Amino acid sequence: MSTDRRPWTFYVLATLFTAFVIFLYGPMISVLVLAFQGPSGALTFPLRDPSLMWFGEVFNPSRVGDVPGAFSRSFPLAILVMLLTVLVSVAAGFGFRRRFFGSTVLFYTAIASLIVPGLVLSIGVLVTARFLGVSANWFTTGLGAHLSWTLPFGLLIMFAVLGRLSPSYEEAAYDLGATRWQTVMEVVVPIVFPGMIAVALFGFTLSYDEFPRSWLTIGTKNTLPLEIWTMTTNVTSPSLYALGAMTTAISFLVIGLALGSIYLIQRKRGG
Amino acid sequence: MNATVGDKAKSAAHTGGSGQIRLVDVTKSFGPTQAVRNVSLTIPHGSYCCMIGPSGCGKTTILRMVAGHETPSSGEIYIGDDMVVGKPPVARGTAMMFQSYALFPHLTILDNVGFYLKMRGVGKVERRNRAFEMLPRVQLDHLKDRMPAQLSGGQQQRVALARALITNPKVLLLDEPLSALDEFLRLQMRGELKSLQAELGITFLHVTHTQPEAIALADMVVVMDNGVIEQAGTAREIFNEPKTPYVARFMGAQNVLTGAVVSRSAETAIIKTAAGGMLEAPAAQVVATQGQAVSVSIRRDLVDVHRSGGSHGDTRNALEGTVEATEYQGNFVKITVRIEGEGQFVANISDRAYFAEPVVPGSRVTVSWKSADMHVLEKVDTGEKGSPYAE
Repeated sequence: MSTDRRPWTFYVLATLFTAFVIFLYGPMISVLVLAFQGPSGALTFPLRDPSLMWFGEVFNPSRVGDVPGAFSRSFPLAILVMLLTVLVSVAAGFGFRRRFFGSTVLFYTAIASLIVPGLVLSIGVLVTARFLGVSANWFTTGLGAHLSWTLPFGLLIMFAVLGRLSPSYEEAAYDLGATRWQTVMEVVVPIVFPGMIAVALFGFTLSYDEFPRSWLTIGTKNTLPLEIWTMTTNVTSPSLYALGAMTTAISFLVIGLALGSIYLIQRKRGG
Repeated sequence: MNATVGDKAKSAAHTGGSGQIRLVDVTKSFGPTQAVRNVSLTIPHGSYCCMIGPSGCGKTTILRMVAGHETPSSGEIYIGDDMVVGKPPVARGTAMMFQSYALFPHLTILDNVGFYLKMRGVGKVERRNRAFEMLPRVQLDHLKDRMPAQLSGGQQQRVALARALITNPKVLLLDEPLSALDEFLRLQMRGELKSLQAELGITFLHVTHTQPEAIALADMVVVMDNGVIEQAGTAREIFNEPKTPYVARFMGAQNVLTGAVVSRSAETAIIKTAAGGMLEAPAAQVVATQGQAVSVSIRRDLVDVHRSGGSHGDTRNALEGTVEATEYQGNFVKITVRIEGEGQFVANISDRAYFAEPVVPGSRVTVSWKSADMHVLEKVDTGEKGSPYAE
């Protein structure tokens, strides 16, 4: 008889949502669990004699692939992509605050690179680099290919953030005697800083995870996603899962740091 | 003796000379539209000036040109004796309070107020001390470490005020400063702005679209429409002696009637409206000669309303119509009457007078007023512009 009983649609939608969450995180949880497989365990469930042995195995190049080497390329690449994405997106965001001739066309051109298939782009980058006499390497062609993926995301975020920023902040700073540079550094950048962190986060994770655009562009030495892919074809031990668990942990760490700093900034502002 | 001279020079430099604002033939175009057209205006030093008009009338553009956030397309702007076009705000001696306050959300109240000093390279300790000295003037000393988002609207406005005043301006520019506040706070802040201006003795230029605000605050009211000044004068002049039908309607929500002069004597001029109403105006006010068109305004509160059919001897300055609506306002009752051929006519009747002789929508009534209470306008109502406050 109670009037606040939930309608049946609530239970249908709640079930659907639960299924969706399991679908999202189930596979990852399986990998995380199987990473702790014991010495007698197989690549599949059940989990026998949980241990940490496969985590150690990851760093044994003779048994597995060159994971530390791949990481030593993937991580700096992701950091580099992150920094460049933030720099370019913020600069472009400022540029696009004023309407100029061709700005709409330029905007759509920049965003359109999102729909170019990654593998096709990868081939294109390689062919162009050959033609220009540039050798394929993670810090040359690889970097360029990754930026073609991260920049549109960064631009979209920065346009949204800077588009919402009222011009009266800049006018108020000018009114109080700030130079253009002081206005940018003392007012605009601090205000849009949470947005910049979001851009950085996208830049890092998209690059760190990138497979199709890395495929032909990173040269002879693999980045982490390519190394893992190679391993799936020749490594048949749970160390694959251990590696998966570790890379996921690094991604989560980066996301946690980013969201945590946004939260701290917002809380400090009392917003 | 030298010290005295030195001190005087220093204090003169500190206050920065005169805060008189002079606009000379200022025009501002945005593409094909002219937001401000050939405006010339002098606002005396130390006065509280309110610019009022509907949105898009050019009042904010003038404020922003005085502030240095907009450059005139042509014309000159002087503050004191300095031509300030092309100069940054700080060099003009102006400070602006923005409509949304534009407090920097990442800085504490203290650092918001001290922002100007930071931009001038004043050290942290000194600038915080000086900013802290500003806070008691706006009753915010207890909130110095809060962030803007933690303050109420009225408090935020006080911060914006302190942040502007720390620059020691000769002119404070206020862009609709009270529009974001609720009614109670608006009245309170209105009083505070007025007393602050009196205390500081600097020029306040305040843009508003609210008539009571302009009338209550201003030493000088500038009424604008379509990029030009319709009338500038004291609040009383603007309210009692409007020059144009627009000002009469916009500022006082007055009734405007138009007719032609049919006869005149030494004391009175008789004006006949198109619908046949006979108006009797003091001859001294009527410049128009016989046969010429003329518009007059009558304040709502100076109109009597009586049921028709009674004995109201005079047919001059009396028009018959039908009550459209009555609105009880507490101390008065607003009666809207439709007069055939003239349109709406509004009378504000004291509640006593109303309840002594109540009328209801549909009643036939006669509205009348004294000849002396009729004001003759300089411009004839062309009927092109609708009254924004016709209701």
